[in-house]
Amino acid sequence: MALSTTSALQPMRSPNGRDKTLPRKRIHRLSVTSWAFMAPIAVVFVALYIIPMTQSVYYSFTDFNGYVSNPKFVGLDNYTHLFKDPSMLSALGYTIFYAVTTTILVTVAAIPLALTLNRKFLGRNLVRSAFFFPAVPSVAILGLVWGFILNPLGSGVLNSIIHSLTGLGPIPWLSDSTLAQLSTVVVTIWAQTGWHAVLYLAYLQAIPADYYEVSKIDGASGWQSFRYITLPLLVPAMAVSQLLLMTNGLKVFDLPFTLTRGGPGFSTRTLTQSLIEDGIAQSRVGAASALAVLFLFVVGLVVLGQMAITNALQRKYS
Amino acid sequence: MTRNRHVLTSVLMIALAVLMSVPFYYIVVNTFKTQEETTNSPLALPTHWVLDNYVKVFEGTPVVQSLMNTIYVTVISIFLMLAIGSLAAFGQITDRSRVSRIIGAVLVAAFIIPGQATLVPLYRMLVGVHLVDSLNGLIVIYACGSIFCYYLILGYMRTIPAELLEAARIDGAGPFRIYWMIVLPLIRPILVTVGVFQTMWVWNDFITPNVFISSEEKQTLVLQVYTAVGQFTTDWPSFMTLTVVVLIPMVLFFIFMQRHIVSGLVSGSVKG
Repeated sequence: MALSTTSALQPMRSPNGRDKTLPRKRIHRLSVTSWAFMAPIAVVFVALYIIPMTQSVYYSFTDFNGYVSNPKFVGLDNYTHLFKDPSMLSALGYTIFYAVTTTILVTVAAIPLALTLNRKFLGRNLVRSAFFFPAVPSVAILGLVWGFILNPLGSGVLNSIIHSLTGLGPIPWLSDSTLAQLSTVVVTIWAQTGWHAVLYLAYLQAIPADYYEVSKIDGASGWQSFRYITLPLLVPAMAVSQLLLMTNGLKVFDLPFTLTRGGPGFSTRTLTQSLIEDGIAQSRVGAASALAVLFLFVVGLVVLGQMAITNALQRKYS
Repeated sequence: MTRNRHVLTSVLMIALAVLMSVPFYYIVVNTFKTQEETTNSPLALPTHWVLDNYVKVFEGTPVVQSLMNTIYVTVISIFLMLAIGSLAAFGQITDRSRVSRIIGAVLVAAFIIPGQATLVPLYRMLVGVHLVDSLNGLIVIYACGSIFCYYLILGYMRTIPAELLEAARIDGAGPFRIYWMIVLPLIRPILVTVGVFQTMWVWNDFITPNVFISSEEKQTLVLQVYTAVGQFTTDWPSFMTLTVVVLIPMVLFFIFMQRHIVSGLVSGSVKG
């Protein structure tokens, strides 16, 4: 007892280890305040994730339009409408097309780029920066700039260059549905490949050089050492990079919107654009909420699936 | 043989890098031209270097106001995220109680919930508390980022030897003092990395200001460039100039923070 009063002033200074109960008591006392350290993040989580998520789920089963105070329960109507609305279906189609093609093409471009940037050559640092830089400014601004470059009029930058070189007339980069869709993909590849290459590069640089030396001594060709050393060791990087590409692709909004406003027609309209227009501009909260829940499921499934794949691969390769 | 290959790689890669950079060259070079010259020879160097476009942008658009707005939102958001994230990480490593463990486990859900799934209710929530069309409303939304910060900081904080915290505790330091005097200085590298990474997100974000901000005097830089497209439909050089002015802070940021951006990219991507 006497000990605990002195320890309040000069805590835990007693050098003998006989007061074994004291530390536990202190840890316990610390626990109460430690819990408080997590209070702000708990507030953020509840207020910005749990409550709005719950509301989205609830509204998705109602005809809530933002004005009536007691919305009617409509069951799965919002969900079935989702799959009947042509603009929504085309948004779904385009978003999946965008997510899948950018995931594949950025990966296919980023791995060779990373392998090259990992070699020594003159001006390597400058080249690395040049490829990486498009990932730094806002995608929205890049989309607007590319809008001028790909302007489908004859006065558009790319069109006037093509005209002066080949004499061809204006190409409808952004006013033809297919070309507009491809344009959004190409601009994304331009903007993202360097970023993902740097990610791969970080993993490449972690591969010990002796692996390659040993394989060289054993007579492996360049392709063989890539196939049997580099590629397997890049699997974790591929999992990470493709997860990011896929989820960002499904959630995409900025780039198609600033480049084409979702047009021509609905051809480059994304699910996120539909959600914003329905839920906020037109206050069709019920319909937008069904889309929000769909988002949660699709993105959640992709994340969980990718996590499972990554774990399985890591177990296989380590 | 290998020497030739080096030269070949060099030439090829520099050529590709130059090609990649043409859009940036294009917007910069056209800010110094007249509109007529921009249309007639988009990629040529200007015959006479003119600064009229810059004068026009600074006089005719609220770019300075937007810059101030963006700085205000970014600085406060990042500070808030890092504070909430590091406090929570500290609570998590010092406290092994069930409550903390449950909070720690549940927070993972934040990575699965996409912003799209909460956007409409959040909008309605902010309307309810009169934080729509307000810079502080944006800061509230960006507080979402504290969970990402928490995970990265937690991973780093686990590398602090437990003996160090124990020693401080034995010397009589209270939990907040341990956090402030010992833990915060030790985790500075990760705070910088996460801070740089999140700065890029907040500074560049388009979707949140586009949804939540409607009045001109509350625009962020990115939103201002977006609305300027309508304003300058035919005046391309002015639009390019505004873009260049907006890109300058990002270029400086890139030059000085490149190392941190890359380390943030690598550690951030691992957490997903």
